[in-house]
Amino acid sequence: MQIGSSSSSATEYVVRVPKNTSKKYNIMAFNAGDKVSCSTWTQARMERDMSNRRIYGEEETPDGAAGSEFGKKQREEARRKKYGIVTKEFKVEDQPWILKVNGKAGRRFKGLKKGGVTENASYYIFTQCADGAFEAFPVHSWYNFTPQAKHRTLTAEEAEEEWGRRNKVVNHFSIMLQRRLRQQEQGEEEEEEGEKGGKKKKKKGGRGGDLRIHDLEDDLEMSSDESDGSNGDDDEAKSKAKQDKGPKGKGKKKKKKKGSDLEGFEDSDDGDFEGLEVDYMSDESSSEEEEPEKPKPSKGEDVPKGIDEMSESEEESEEENKNEEDGKEEEEEEDGKKTPVQVEKKKKKDSSGESDSSEDSDIEGEAASALFMKKRTPPKRGGVRGSAGSSRTGSRPGTPSIDSAATSNTLRAAANKLEQGKRQTTVPSSETPATKRLKMEPSPQSSSGKSTPQPVSGKSTPSSSDVLLTEDAVRRYLIRKPMTTKDLLKKFQTKRTGLSSEQTVNVLAQILKRLNPERKNINDKMHFYLTE
Amino acid sequence: MSDKGEVDLTGAKQNTGVWLVKVPKYLSQQWTKATGRGEVGKLRICKNQGKAEVVSFTLNEELTTVDTIGEKSSMVRAPREHPFTLQTVGGQTLAVFTENSSDKIALEGLVVQRAECRPAVSENYMKLKKLQIEELSKPMRFSQQLDKAVTTNYKPVANHAYNLDYERKKKEEGKRARADKQQVLDMLFSAFEKHQYYNIKDLVDITKQPVIYLKEILRDIGIYNVKGTHKNTWELKPEYRHYQNEEKSD
Repeated sequence: MQIGSSSSSATEYVVRVPKNTSKKYNIMAFNAGDKVSCSTWTQARMERDMSNRRIYGEEETPDGAAGSEFGKKQREEARRKKYGIVTKEFKVEDQPWILKVNGKAGRRFKGLKKGGVTENASYYIFTQCADGAFEAFPVHSWYNFTPQAKHRTLTAEEAEEEWGRRNKVVNHFSIMLQRRLRQQEQGEEEEEEGEKGGKKKKKKGGRGGDLRIHDLEDDLEMSSDESDGSNGDDDEAKSKAKQDKGPKGKGKKKKKKKGSDLEGFEDSDDGDFEGLEVDYMSDESSSEEEEPEKPKPSKGEDVPKGIDEMSESEEESEEENKNEEDGKEEEEEEDGKKTPVQVEKKKKKDSSGESDSSEDSDIEGEAASALFMKKRTPPKRGGVRGSAGSSRTGSRPGTPSIDSAATSNTLRAAANKLEQGKRQTTVPSSETPATKRLKMEPSPQSSSGKSTPQPVSGKSTPSSSDVLLTEDAVRRYLIRKPMTTKDLLKKFQTKRTGLSSEQTVNVLAQILKRLNPERKNINDKMHFYLTE
Repeated sequence: MSDKGEVDLTGAKQNTGVWLVKVPKYLSQQWTKATGRGEVGKLRICKNQGKAEVVSFTLNEELTTVDTIGEKSSMVRAPREHPFTLQTVGGQTLAVFTENSSDKIALEGLVVQRAECRPAVSENYMKLKKLQIEELSKPMRFSQQLDKAVTTNYKPVANHAYNLDYERKKKEEGKRARADKQQVLDMLFSAFEKHQYYNIKDLVDITKQPVIYLKEILRDIGIYNVKGTHKNTWELKPEYRHYQNEEKSD
């Protein structure tokens, strides 16, 4: 029916409200900002999101047969009634929708039901039909659809972490990158370790590029800040490098840790070590994340020797390689130096190790005290050592790879370990006097035991895997840089020198007494150093 | 059904435009009373330069009768004229989708216009509203004084029904007689086939044995556990159970 009017045209349409529609009309509401255009949809799938069902399902005890209780359901019901617990029904109608548009690569939306739509007023959808009449359908429910993020997001914990570092981190792209790397590692092993590893990687990697003068940089927070900042642009490029350096950094850190462990058997004050999963007894460092107790320097020093590879475990060489890759000046320099020295020291160790256990017991107390950072009387037994070193033990190819960690562990534990190892003993007669002299606390030896000729040094040609714990070697270390007792111990691995850890400790203590190095407290740890 | 979740996008593709109209409750109630083809009224749209300007809906005569409780239907009538207030959809994208009884989902179209159906203010309307308010303001619960005191609830001396039951039970069962041990075992095993854990009371019920005797038998073949839950339950000993596999060993 058309009714004409002056300027505007008015048309009348019949409005119908169909009675028997099987279809329920609903509203799908999108936010303006999401820029959703339904015309661009080629294909769409929509299903109810049933993920809340289990909340309502309650704990399902097996029904019948194993595990079930007679009359359990009724009892549960009665109990709930008694306490007035009212559980909401899981209504499929009220569950959210999951809408997937344009297949896998398309967008995803979640549609949450909006309540209160039909309470006081009804919404109707007016559609115009072919005959011009309008048909009105009541709206059953209203769903608000929001797009779901497809990009990786940080979890709440991670987000909080990053928030704490927001002032330090310059390059934000690396945040997600690191997280992804972290997740890859997690796939290989325990989550906990993985995360720590990842975290450490990130931290350590940052310092990768810096010239490491000091082990302590590992632990200083400042350095991490600086490096993070300085790495700004390079972070991405360095991410790979970071990973490589990660384990190295860890190695150094471990070394530190061992040092601190031994120094005073005190609890490590360094909060950085909290939560570290350190496996002192592990021989294998299967992945970067696990904490192999392999000090890097000792590994590094092994590399040039070559012969050492036989007696070393794989990981050690692995770590060495890593060390090599990084090409840390310091390391290599040290290595070079250590090579001859280490050999000597090992020899010495061997010899002294082979000497009577009485020596051990005697010197034990001394060593312990010596290591506990007490003032050392100048040890006057350097020379003795030298001669003792002449008795070289044969190679010990079968020596079990005992981590230097063992040495840095409690004296007892380390001693046990070493005792398991083979100790070829060719106790020379020349040793006995040496031993005896050791017992006696020889004062006639001048404190320039340093300068005492060390015949052992002549024996710089080591038999396989022999390193000697000589005063010379120690002195060399201490001249180059301050070291803690722990560090020193790491240099002289028990399996290299052939000494038991106890003996190593003792001998080292004596040497230190002799050398009487200067002390410096770095990072709460007592370091020794010499100035030549 | 592979296409269960599949959304029929014909409406979206055709860009069918629909109107979303908010309609007052009483009006929608009237509409449900429509007969025949469901015609409820007429919509008059006055267009000015192509855009809908004045829209008004007129309710059909027969639908103006309002069903109210306690009032004569002719007293109050629903208003007939309802102008529409037009609103824009705004930035929101509102789509309409339908769900079939067979759970098929189809996109019907997009909302192009939002409107509110308002009744033209009239006497009728005011009366109607008054009625509505009165109805709503009545409390759900109310107190009512009774004429006569309630005398049908006696305070029984003993629970009669219960008493009867009790006596009946006593007569019927007497003391539970000890059946053959083997029989009891059979009963127990079949019971434990159904459920793993049983309360002693339930077992007594099932087997109809005196408690002490039953407990003895249970001590042989079963274990008593305080499962962490309140009730202490009996279950068969491990060597007697074969829940995942074949039948039990005896």
